[in-house]
Amino acid sequence: MNIITCYKIVPEEQDIVVLPDRSLSFARAEWKIGQYDLNAIEAGMQIVEAAGGKVSALSVGDKQLENSKLKKGVLSRGPEDLYLVMDEQLENSDTFLTAQVLTAAIRKIGEFDLVICGEGSSDLYAQQVGAQLGEMLNIPTINGISKITPEGNKIIAERTLGNEIEVLEISLPAVVSVTTDINLPRIPSMKNILAAGKKPIIEWDLSAVGLQGVTKQTEVISTLAPENVERKKVIFEGESEEVIQKLFESIRKELL
Amino acid sequence: MSKVTKVWVFAEKNTALAQLCAGGRQLGEEVSALVLGTKEEAEKAVSYGADKVYWLGSSKQDKMLEDYTATICELLKKESPNLLMMQASKRGKHVAGRLAANIGTSVIVDAAGIEIAGGMIQVKHMVYGGAAFRVERALGKTTITTVGPGLFNALPEDNSRQGSVVEVDFVEPAGSVKCLERKSKKGAEVNLSAAKRVVGIGRGIASQEDIKIVEEFAGLIGAEVGCSRPIAEGVNWMPKERYIGVSGAMLKPEVYIAIGISGQVQHMVGVNQAKVIIAVNKDKGAPIFQHTDYGIIGDLYKVLPALKELIKTNNEN
Ligand SMILES: Cc1cc2nc3c(=O)[nH]c(=O)nc-3n(C[C@H](O)[C@H](O)[C@H](O)COP(=O)(O)OP(=O)(O)OC[C@H]3O[C@@H](n4cnc5c(N)ncnc54)[C@H](O)[C@@H]3O)c2cc1C
Repeated sequence: MNIITCYKIVPEEQDIVVLPDRSLSFARAEWKIGQYDLNAIEAGMQIVEAAGGKVSALSVGDKQLENSKLKKGVLSRGPEDLYLVMDEQLENSDTFLTAQVLTAAIRKIGEFDLVICGEGSSDLYAQQVGAQLGEMLNIPTINGISKITPEGNKIIAERTLGNEIEVLEISLPAVVSVTTDINLPRIPSMKNILAAGKKPIIEWDLSAVGLQGVTKQTEVISTLAPENVERKKVIFEGESEEVIQKLFESIRKELL
Repeated sequence: MSKVTKVWVFAEKNTALAQLCAGGRQLGEEVSALVLGTKEEAEKAVSYGADKVYWLGSSKQDKMLEDYTATICELLKKESPNLLMMQASKRGKHVAGRLAANIGTSVIVDAAGIEIAGGMIQVKHMVYGGAAFRVERALGKTTITTVGPGLFNALPEDNSRQGSVVEVDFVEPAGSVKCLERKSKKGAEVNLSAAKRVVGIGRGIASQEDIKIVEEFAGLIGAEVGCSRPIAEGVNWMPKERYIGVSGAMLKPEVYIAIGISGQVQHMVGVNQAKVIIAVNKDKGAPIFQHTDYGIIGDLYKVLPALKELIKTNNEN
């Protein structure tokens, strides 16, 4: 089975700084592979390890994609090759534009049976790209997939919803978004990381996928941190009877 | 607030539909509900506040709600409402995304506020795990957004309201996702948001076994037990319905007690409306201590048993 797994490069949440005017600064942020996209890559790897085939990784975005540590990071998790569509136009892309560019890139890659997306990106978590991508590729698409079993030219998948689990038969090619509990992503070994350096990376810009001049369909008016809730911050330290007694005294009216 | 002309609403459940219809009344001159269900259910939408109902027919055994996407899409292209609000469920978000792809827009998910300013629809929603609220607008004719529970309050049902019901023909979908089987998930429904006191369990707990220790503590103070996301999705020690935060339950309890929780923003936005926050964490530098009223830097395995004893002694006296 030929699988394409999609991922997004996102800022490390803990490095995002709230400025005095409540706007956010990413100046000091490290960038990383979206946490939930690791589940998508792992899901792809487990399928080809069980049923044969090949996993390719794909991402679209701006210059953050150039980060060689992150390229290696993706490839060290198993994919045989990596496709990137990099363009300044794709900075802060919205989900429609992202899906549009992924569609064009996948058409250019050519043969595939299954596209796997993470449940949502770690930064915006709109949970939209998989559904939009499937629709644009005009193939079956579904979200919330927590188990995949390949079966010839289709897959049998479990989908976890609020209070039920659906067992689905999905004809291929298809696009699925997987949940975070579908697997535990592997930690690459030193050997994997070294091998990753030798794998092919194919880089395109928007015009290479025939999309020069495409723009976003939404406009951001403002992005502001919420007002802080003031807390008392009475902090005790230690585990002795005395300390815990003190803690108890100050919280007893909350507990009893 | 000024209004737009046409607002459409779509929900899986009646409670959500009633809220969306009420929201529609605030935002639009004319509210249309898309209803998949019996004729009676379609008519019911009028009593919730819809002026018009697009009746998609009774739900069929061999069809999934997702199979109606093409049907809705055709209507959407023909009628171009200003706003389509969908229930923010997994299904709702999926269908919304597919509709958006067809009409050339992005869905603005999980609306925390919808306003109309200068004739334009602006949707506020959380980004960066709750670190910020973003106000965004769609540039196309139709804005699609998903709305969670509680943004709008349902209006009292009014059976004297008049509205029209339009039957919609089914459009056969192109692709094929077939539902072979539905299994109901075990586990009782929990309603964390109703609890006055909530104890949250984080990765500081060493094993599934040890959850008992926290449950006993919670029992003593009459609190519900919730958890951080990795406890429910990752190690899967607790049901998903119990995890708190931006992608889980959003709470407003009197007291929240975080046990072995580091206090990442994605978790904290789910509890920062609590009146009092208490934390137990062995790491002095854990971000949770920036958001607590009372905290203790210590091992939960020592702190909790000692606290339990103190509460018991106190209860006896
Ligand atoms: C898009 C996105 C959405 C997310 N949504 C949510 C969400 O809705 N809810 C959510 O909870 N998370 C969410 N997360 C995950 C979130 O970023 C954190 O990873 C998560 O909240 C951390 O859980 P934790 O505090 O239990 O674990 P950790 O961060 O691992 O913290 C464990 C803590 O336990 C302490 N500890 C360890 N042993 C002991 C001991 N013996 N005694 C006392 N303390 C101890 C440690 O010092 C540490 O601070 C989301 C992440 C992303 C990317």
